[in-house]
Order: sequence, then C-alpha cells, then structure tokens
Amino acid sequence: MHRLRLRRGSGLRIATLALLAGIAAGCGGAQEGGAGGAGRVAVMLPPGERPFWMPLARDFERAHPGVTVDLIEGPQSTDLRENLYTASLLARDPSFDLVYMDVTWTSKFAAAGWLRPLEGAFPPQERDRWLPAAREAGMFRGRLYRVPVRTDVGLLYYRRDWLEGAGYAPPSTFDELVRVARALEDPPRRWGFVWQGKQYEGLVCDYLEVLTGFGGTWVDPATLEVGLDRPQAAAALEFLVRCRSVDPISPPGVATYQEEESRRLFQDGRAVFLRNWPYVWRLAQREDSPIRGKIGAMSMVHAPGGRSAGTLGGWGLGVSAYSRRPDLAVAFIRHVTTLESQRVLCGETGYAPALIEAYRDSALLAANPFLDRIGRLHANAVARPGIARYALASDILQRHLSAALAGGEPAARALREAARETRLMLGRAGAAEAR
Amino acid sequence: MRAVRAGVWTRERALLLLPAALLLAVVVVVPVLRVLMLSVNRVELEDGFRLHLAGIEPYLRLWLDGRWWTALRNTAVFTVSSVALEMTLGVAFALVLHRAFRGRGLARALVMLPWALPTAVMALAWAWIFNDSFGVANDLLRRLGLLPHPIAWLGQPVTAMLAMVVADVWKTTPFVALIALAGLQAIPEQVLEAARLDGLSAWQRFRRVTLPLLRPALLVAVAFRAVQAYGAFDLVYVMTGGGPGGSTETVSLYAFQNYFRYLDFGYGSAVATTGVLIVTALVLALVRLARPRAEAA
Repeated sequence: MHRLRLRRGSGLRIATLALLAGIAAGCGGAQEGGAGGAGRVAVMLPPGERPFWMPLARDFERAHPGVTVDLIEGPQSTDLRENLYTASLLARDPSFDLVYMDVTWTSKFAAAGWLRPLEGAFPPQERDRWLPAAREAGMFRGRLYRVPVRTDVGLLYYRRDWLEGAGYAPPSTFDELVRVARALEDPPRRWGFVWQGKQYEGLVCDYLEVLTGFGGTWVDPATLEVGLDRPQAAAALEFLVRCRSVDPISPPGVATYQEEESRRLFQDGRAVFLRNWPYVWRLAQREDSPIRGKIGAMSMVHAPGGRSAGTLGGWGLGVSAYSRRPDLAVAFIRHVTTLESQRVLCGETGYAPALIEAYRDSALLAANPFLDRIGRLHANAVARPGIARYALASDILQRHLSAALAGGEPAARALREAARETRLMLGRAGAAEAR
Repeated sequence: MRAVRAGVWTRERALLLLPAALLLAVVVVVPVLRVLMLSVNRVELEDGFRLHLAGIEPYLRLWLDGRWWTALRNTAVFTVSSVALEMTLGVAFALVLHRAFRGRGLARALVMLPWALPTAVMALAWAWIFNDSFGVANDLLRRLGLLPHPIAWLGQPVTAMLAMVVADVWKTTPFVALIALAGLQAIPEQVLEAARLDGLSAWQRFRRVTLPLLRPALLVAVAFRAVQAYGAFDLVYVMTGGGPGGSTETVSLYAFQNYFRYLDFGYGSAVATTGVLIVTALVLALVRLARPRAEAA
C-alpha cells in the first residue's frame, strides 16, 4: 500500500507540472496574439495548405499597411481542426478571426451563433460568380455564412487502358460497373472497385452518390423529410454490400479504407475503379506514377433512369462572431477569392477553384488541364443536408451503413433503424427551435 | 519542539492545506458539479446553448438510446477481457522478473517500455499492424500458415474488438507486472521457505501462499486497470473511431462525440455522469472485495 501512495503522489506532481506547462503555453499564445495589435487577421489552416496561402497573405499585407495576416498551422486531421475551432468559439475566444471550414461545418457553426452573416458584404451579383453548389453550401436559413475558396466533388476514376484493351466503354450503370470490374479483376492482385467503407464521413459521401444514383434521398434540409427507409435507399446500400461480399469486386478491407488506402491500391495498379476526390488526378499523373496517362475520370454511375452524382466537398471562409476586426476579415476573404488569388492557390496545388470564371482561365487550365473536366463534372454535385445537427445525422447513417457492410446486418433493417433515429433527432431539434 | 499530534486541527495546518484544497476545488470539484448540473438540463445549439431544466429527461433518453447501451456493452466487454488478460500475464511476468537471473535489470526495463509510450502513438502503430493489406499481423499469420487469406481485422466487429484488446494488453500489462512485482518483494522469504519445508509443491506454494499474500497488491492493480480500461478513449479514437458499425464505441468516446461533435452538452453530461457512477460502483465493489477476509476472524 505504501508503494501505491508513492505512485499517487508522483501522479499528482506530474499532473501539476502538466497544468503549469499548459498555462505557460496558453500565455505564450496570448502574447503572440497580442503582438499584432488591432491590425491582425488570423486563420487556422491545414499544415499542407499553409505554404500556398503565404503569397496571398503577403499581398494582402502590402495592400493594407500595418496589417498582419496570421496563418496558423493547425493539425493535419480535419476532425482535430474542427475540435480546435469548436473549443475556441465555445470560449468566445477572438484568436481566430476567420474560420476555414469544411462544407459540413457551416450549418452547425452558423446555428450556434459563431459566425457573422456575410450577405451584406457579398451581394447576389458577387455570389453569382461562385459555383452554384458551393454557393448554396455556404447558406444557412437564407443567410450567407461561408464564402467558398476551393471545391471538391466525388469522382469515379477508371483504368482507361484496361477498359479500352478489353473493348469496354466506361460503364454508366451499377450493373455495368460490376460486370466490367468482374471481367478485369484478378483478386487479390487486382481488385475491381475500391472506395471508402470505414465508419467515418467518407462512407457517407460514397453512399450519398450511390443513393442519388438510385433516385433516393437522405434528409431534405427544407422539409426535414427522411428518405432512408425507402426502397431506393436499401437498393443503394445493397449495391455497396454486393461489391464487398456478393459479387466481390472490392477487397474485404474496403470496410476499413479511407481515401488514402483506396488511392494507394489504385495508384499501385491494383484496382480497376476508384471512387475518390479530384486530388487523386494530380498524384496519378506524377512522373513516377505507374498509372500516369492511363486513367479516366467521370461521375459515379447510376441506376437505369437515375442520375450521376458526386458528393460536394470543399473549403471556405467564414468570419468568427468574436473577431475584433471583422472588417479586415471580410477584406481578406474578398482578397483570396479574386481570380488572381485563385490562380495562386489552385495553379500549383491542383485544387479546384470556387470561381466559375477560373474554369475558363487559360493560365489555370495550362497549369492543370484536368480542371476543365472537373468543372463539367461539378454539374453533378450533390450536397450533404445543411441541417444544424448534421454531425449527428451523419454519425447515425455511418453507424448503420457500417453495420450492414461489416457486421452483416440486412440493408433494409439497418436503414429503417437509421431513419427512425434520424427522425427522433430532427424532432428534438424542432422542439429546441420552437422554444 | 512541540510534538505534533495526529487529528488536531491547527490554523497552520489549515493554512498549509489551503493551496491543495483550492487546486482540487478548481480542477476537480467545480467541473464535476458543473457536469452534474448540465446533465439535468437541455443545452442545445439551436437556441444559443441556453439552459433549460429537464430533470431526469436526459437519463430517460439514455435508457431508450440503443447506441448508449451498445457503448456500455462494448466498454464492459473491453474492460473485462483486457483486464483479465493483463492480470494473468502481468502476474506471470512478475514471477519471472522476481527471480534472480543475469540481465534482470535490463529485462525489467524492457518489460516496462510499452507502458512508457503515449497511447495515441502506440494505437496508431497497432492500427497499421492490423491493416489488411500492409499489416504485419496478417503477414506473420500467413507465413505461419494460420491464415488462408488476409483478414480485415479492424473491419469486422469481433476482430476489431480483439485487436483493441491486444493493443491494450500490450500496453498495460507492464503496469500490472510492476505492481505484482512490488507485492512479491513484500512477501517474506521465510514464509515460502516454511511452505517448502512443509512439502508443498511449486504450484501449491503459488496457489496457497504467494497468491493470497499478493491479493492486496493485485486488487489495487485491478482497480486501477478497470477504471482506466472503462474510460478508454484515445486507443479507440485512434484505432477504430468506434467502428465498424459502432461495435467498438466506448462510453467515453460517446460522451466526447456528444460534447464536441453534436455540441449537445446536456446529453453528453448525462452520458459522462452515468459513466462516473458506474465506475464508482465498480471501484467500491472492488474495495469491499479487497478487505482481507481474515479481519472478521
């Protein structure tokens, strides 16, 4: 027992030290923040993007003497950055003037009252220059909270060389996709179709494309109608289950894959079809890539009579309600969404711009010829529902999709349960709003 | 110099205790009370996080929430299986490390190594070990001829839980071994000597002498480990994120999701509060068990 007491004592000592270290770190941060004075705009970015924002920040500082732009390097993981922004905004902390956010955060942050409405600063004629789907994704209850900076849309990549070699045209329906994949695969060396089946946001993105292809719906953000217990929804999930276990064109591990696991298989020449985002194109065309010049890209296939869809993703800027310089924050947003800035940000990185005119810009097209194709595929963009409790709606769907994919639960039953839980949640949200 | 008598409440003593009491109040008492208060309220994002007294409604919602029951069951399965394995292995390690052999110091240091690693780092490593295409687990088992084809360990409910238990056992067995080793060192050599002279076999000596004398130390280890395993968060967050199909989601992870992802502070607090109550009951039961039965005699 004596030993135990010693342990507990040292534990407390460590905890105290950690606490002091935390306080010291916090003070350091505050001092750093205060150094810029009133003329400071700060935003937290993913570490990989920060270098490409540097020239934009320097330009802005030149145009606004005395102003500093603080590009704070956040963690790599989207979830972690969301948690950091959430913790900061909950505490009404003014250290981030701008929130660089994923499409799915908009409604939650806006409903919480953490963002400033921006429609006054960006009148309709200005908003009309943005891609329609990206523009809509920045709106919540009729007001603008997020200005799109770059967009993403789900794509279906395929090995053009193998398809042409075997005399197949790119498939347009789910059955054709399975047929071509079965004909060209040679598992486990070469799989037919790889995608994102892990229980996380990516699974919802993949499912939404298939669901739309079958003519189904998830949650209508306007009427709050839930479509998950309709036959189209079950058919969509049954297709994903079929890929993994009935007509196995996907590896068993697909139920654990995120974007990178699936891309690696495709890039190593070990998959015929890949569902992923536009960033794959650039990596696939690198000098050392074994699939360079051998791939094609299109939108997800659909059921006969249905439509192709690509889930809308992308990043944009909102202004924190606790910013001390919202005027500067708005000015910075305007600065990074000009055509010249979009050239700087998207030229080298291969990001898809949010400005419509950027897709016709010769400089950008010369840097990235694939833009033209993405621009056209953007017409198929389908948005995830912009409801305040989107995170919970997504988690409910993820769990039940994953239970059917990995746990063998029948698709229709899993989705009936998902629909029931989603309605319960929407009911609670309605009651909260009525108060 | 005045002798200090135990139990006397002098002003200096109170003054000396004050900093510690204040620190505890700020970092423990206040947050706990706040969580309790939040747990009987509705705090929702749609109306600016205002508090609405809701009484036991959040707890009723808990009762009807299938996901919470699943999380509770997952937590129980994880706690019982990992702690049971850790105790068995930990005692075995301690018995080996207690003997005198060349390089014992080095062996003791090596055994402690996993315990010193940050959980998030080792969880990431284990997630790669159990990866279906690039993982070492599949490669080894296939080379040994135990697996006909690769398994997506983290892609199926049962194997995902198994992988998490393996990772946790790897990391925390050293802790049990350390406590058991300390307990072994406290057992007087004469007692074992006497048992040997009485003609008890090695197994009998372990079963009848060592184990009963080790009991208080082992119960401490079980209590610590059970509380930690019950609160498992980082391991789950990194290895599986609670998937597949919510089959590895623990109570702590569910509370975290309610707080940080759904911004539902009332319900998150109800989940956290019930979690604390259950774990407190668990510890109290263990402490009762720890009381030597001989006391009654």
